[in-house]
Amino acid sequence: MECVVQGIIETQHVEALETLLQGLCGAPKERVRVHELCLKSGPNLGVVPSEVRLLCDLALPTPTWTVRHVGGAVRGAAAEQICVQVRQVTESKASNNVLRFFYALGYKLDHELLKVGFAFRLQRGAQITVTVTSAYKMPKLHSTDEAVLITPSIQLVEITAPAAADNYNEVVSAVTSLCEHLAPLLHLSKPGVSTGIVPTAAAAAASLMLNSGGKTL
Amino acid sequence: MHCAIVLESLHSPSLSLSLSLSLSLSLSLFMTVKWLMHWQPNPGATLNSQILAEACACAEGLGGAKDGRWRTAMTFYRPMPRDSSAPPADVPRDFLGLALHDRPDTYFFILRAHRLVLHADASIQAIMEKLQSYKARVVFNFEGFQYKLGDFRLRVGKCVPSMAETLRGIMMEVEYLPLSSIEKSRQILEEFFDIWQEALAKKSLPGHFIHIESNFADYGLQDHYTSQHTAVQYATCMAQLMAAVRS
Repeated sequence: MECVVQGIIETQHVEALETLLQGLCGAPKERVRVHELCLKSGPNLGVVPSEVRLLCDLALPTPTWTVRHVGGAVRGAAAEQICVQVRQVTESKASNNVLRFFYALGYKLDHELLKVGFAFRLQRGAQITVTVTSAYKMPKLHSTDEAVLITPSIQLVEITAPAAADNYNEVVSAVTSLCEHLAPLLHLSKPGVSTGIVPTAAAAAASLMLNSGGKTL
Repeated sequence: MHCAIVLESLHSPSLSLSLSLSLSLSLSLFMTVKWLMHWQPNPGATLNSQILAEACACAEGLGGAKDGRWRTAMTFYRPMPRDSSAPPADVPRDFLGLALHDRPDTYFFILRAHRLVLHADASIQAIMEKLQSYKARVVFNFEGFQYKLGDFRLRVGKCVPSMAETLRGIMMEVEYLPLSSIEKSRQILEEFFDIWQEALAKKSLPGHFIHIESNFADYGLQDHYTSQHTAVQYATCMAQLMAAVRS
């Protein structure tokens, strides 16, 4: 289970966001470079159509593969009231032949992306990860070296935190609190809910950069 | 013979100490070489638990010290068609999942037709379940006793369906603890196997153990032994046991 919110930020304000996160986190940012492949089950395979994501972490000296399955979001009146999505997520590390494995099982490549950016891990009432990435598309199959930026002026911000059935209220509170902290720079909401950029971002970014001397801390 | 010397060297306390040190180191860093063997009954002969008891007695007769129990679980996965239609023709009719006794946090999938062995976290089973495209149909347990025998570790066991007590086969793992190179350990494992067969022959049992060499290179596996090699051997062993039942 994980709690998740997403938002977007203009690339010109990413440095300010990084400064803010650096101050909250204390630890250095981590480099993110992930090749994400979305596979879907072929026709007539499975009780229902299914989807699985293969993530190849290219930031590591030796690329590592993770299989990720995102299940349904928690529903109900209480879930509707909160601005954080709580959903079932299962991950497993796998050997580097995992793509061939799923192809052999009858899964087809739906789309692939390269996500490049950075991440901060914060301990603020829960173990929270903030990821800021630009998305790239590949002109040829799996050609990550030739990837082309999709939206140069916009980057995706995602906040996730692992949760369990008995503590997700606390984790939701922790994530909501962080969202409020970041609110002058960007608006974060449940995945799929488009909120756009916030009008206060430019002023907030300028203030942050002024206070930090214009340099990343 | 080299192998006989290794077996006798068990009685040296200093060597035993160095053995245990090298064992703990080797287990933390890499896998040491294993051979899997299965029991091939003579034509017309049937399997029975007495054979397993005799094989265990043979391990003890060679000086093996009983060192607990072990269990490896093999699952057959089959495609789940949508509605009442047949599964697509281009997907495997089945494939194997394997939980090895000495790698509890990991799981293996083996597609023999594609010569593919996938190594993943144990949580991959939960992902397969959520995808609802393949279903775990039948589980076979390989289970029995393990023995320490000088530089070797033996695991003698039976293969039984998880929901029944029907004996489907008898098999053994022989692990040569000092080496992780398949080629370098080949001769000593062959010598051990000869000694084992000789000892077992004295019991006049209706069959014998067979070691089928798996073609690891087909699966892209190298000479350096890993858990994937063990997974491939289990798939080969299972195929042999099923063929023996059919014949």
